[in-house]
Amino acid sequence: MDRLADFLGALGGLASFTTLFHVTWSTLLGIFVGSLPGLTATMGVALLTTLTYTLDRDAAILVLICMYVGAIYGGSRSAILLNIPGTPASAATSLDGFPLAQRGEAGYAMALATAGSALGTIVGIVLLVLLAPPLGEAALGFGSFEFFWLAVFGIVISGQLTGGGRPIKGYIAGILGLMVAMVGSDGIHAHVRFSLGFSELNGGIGLIPAMVGAFGFAEVLTVMWQRRAQVASVQARSKRMLPRISDLWRFKGTIGRSGVIGTMVGIIPGVGEDIGAWASYALARRLSPERAEFGKGSREGLTAAETGNSAVVPGALIPALTLAVPGSAPAAVLIAALFIHGVRPGPMIMLEQPDFIYSIAAMLLLATLAITVFGLSLTRFFVMVMRVPREYLMPVVFTLCLIGPYALTQRVFDIWVMLAFGILGFVLRRMDYPMPPLVLGIILGDLLDKNLRRGLTLSDGDLSPFFTRPISAAFAVLIALTIAASIPAVRRGFGRLLPRRRLAGTSHEGNHR
Amino acid sequence: MSPKALRADRITAAVLFALGLAMLAGGFTMDRLEVRQIHPASIPGLVPMILGAMLALCAVLLFLGARGPATETDAETALDVSGPNLWITLALTLFYALGLVGRMPFELATALFIAGFVAVFTWPAEPGLRGRAIVLGRSAVYGVALAFAVSVLFRDGFLVRLP
Repeated sequence: MDRLADFLGALGGLASFTTLFHVTWSTLLGIFVGSLPGLTATMGVALLTTLTYTLDRDAAILVLICMYVGAIYGGSRSAILLNIPGTPASAATSLDGFPLAQRGEAGYAMALATAGSALGTIVGIVLLVLLAPPLGEAALGFGSFEFFWLAVFGIVISGQLTGGGRPIKGYIAGILGLMVAMVGSDGIHAHVRFSLGFSELNGGIGLIPAMVGAFGFAEVLTVMWQRRAQVASVQARSKRMLPRISDLWRFKGTIGRSGVIGTMVGIIPGVGEDIGAWASYALARRLSPERAEFGKGSREGLTAAETGNSAVVPGALIPALTLAVPGSAPAAVLIAALFIHGVRPGPMIMLEQPDFIYSIAAMLLLATLAITVFGLSLTRFFVMVMRVPREYLMPVVFTLCLIGPYALTQRVFDIWVMLAFGILGFVLRRMDYPMPPLVLGIILGDLLDKNLRRGLTLSDGDLSPFFTRPISAAFAVLIALTIAASIPAVRRGFGRLLPRRRLAGTSHEGNHR
Repeated sequence: MSPKALRADRITAAVLFALGLAMLAGGFTMDRLEVRQIHPASIPGLVPMILGAMLALCAVLLFLGARGPATETDAETALDVSGPNLWITLALTLFYALGLVGRMPFELATALFIAGFVAVFTWPAEPGLRGRAIVLGRSAVYGVALAFAVSVLFRDGFLVRLP
């Protein structure tokens, strides 16, 4: 009850016309960014960070959260209408959303996606309020040894889950991110490393210029490189723009499960919305009595994907706030924005600003209400938005990519960083290297570096505390298992075992029938 | 994987291996701050050395994984993309960022970039003076309007001294 009272108190604290104004414009902008293929949530949050640094703390964070929620939701629009996910998070949405649109049910598909997104975020908010405080308190017991393993675990699990069929590329992306973090003054002795003679690198490579480059400039290059996407000529046979309560009630189990799965995937460091959507979709297909319909325009499949990806947003903020370890790429940028606005995420947040988590939950709820209202009322407007020609949009996006990082520090050097990371990001993405581990590496590099060396200093060079302290040992085992699972021979071994077990299970079931 | 993807992986593996070794060497030769009598386990080069070694190891594994025969043809994995569009975009953006910004007022540089970008990518395929004049006029108006809006937003809204 105390948590509910704190949450309601935070919600009341935000009640003002200024809040309403910020929620309105930033959510609309977020849906706009998300619905345009090529503009991602990470890019939106990174660019908006550069635009909000003059706002006061709560207003800036509110605007960024509304952008994040709006962009993840907005991706469903182009997934349904164009069969092109507006953001990678909506890839699973297009599987059933586009066939529904082809059947003339585009409006209803968008309504269902809106309801799924809103309900998924609400499940995530409830879990954020329930899980973040105890996780933050548990993290107070973490020492250098545990934080070192946490950083390693983040990179390994993110590399494993986002590397697709080739986790090695995920690991490489993560190591490259950690290497980027090694540039500049080290966190213990302030010794400048790898500055290559540039005094601007003494303070390290800024996360915002790097992110704006890797997600903004790289996207501009990608969008212009690809052939033009055509808006499908979708004939609207059904005018229905509101979801049927009966449908939502029928899918209540799927919505609840997808919400929980999405939030849990969000908590895993650097994994993100796309994996949340795929995991929810896969489970919904396995458990659904209408699994044959999945991929052909299943309403349940669409709901599962949208609930799953939206629930990741609050989930990704749980470790971001309590451990300073982002659950997704946009959450990594949010951490950087929090630092800019004087909030220090990490275990101490529960002591220094215990109400802050409830403020974030309240902001998420406002963003959810906004996507529900705009999603159900402005369907036609967003269809028009998707027709903005890329030739007109992309030069403006690049101008913002250039001036945004410059505005933060007033250094031309940061424009060069943005350009370098843009080209690097484009090349790496073309070669199937995932971006989330890279981002996570840049964020976690300092944590890993400081805690390994601090831990070794505390133990006088002895490695054993890294393996004998209970939480450290658990992390070490988890990391070893994760890496082992990415070795093809081990996977094949498991693969040989699993079918046998499945066959045994089938015969067992058969005996019962 | 297609032959092209396998070749790309082998080349990347070589580059990453070299980068890993460079990081390892950089960490190894880094000042160990003995004059400050720091604990030997906290030398600044420790983590760069570990990361360099890990990257070199991953590069070897990537190379080994890219040795086998191709499972797809290049045609099967080819994307529907336009190479010239990519190079034009790259040239325009780099020229704007490195050549124009800082050498002339930001508004002018931005107006030239946006107008040039729109004009290049909407240039009519069929010859005709009228069509081209319309494209040029539209691009110029769009470029000037957007450059003015962005400049005012940052200079007067966010009080940024523009480059």
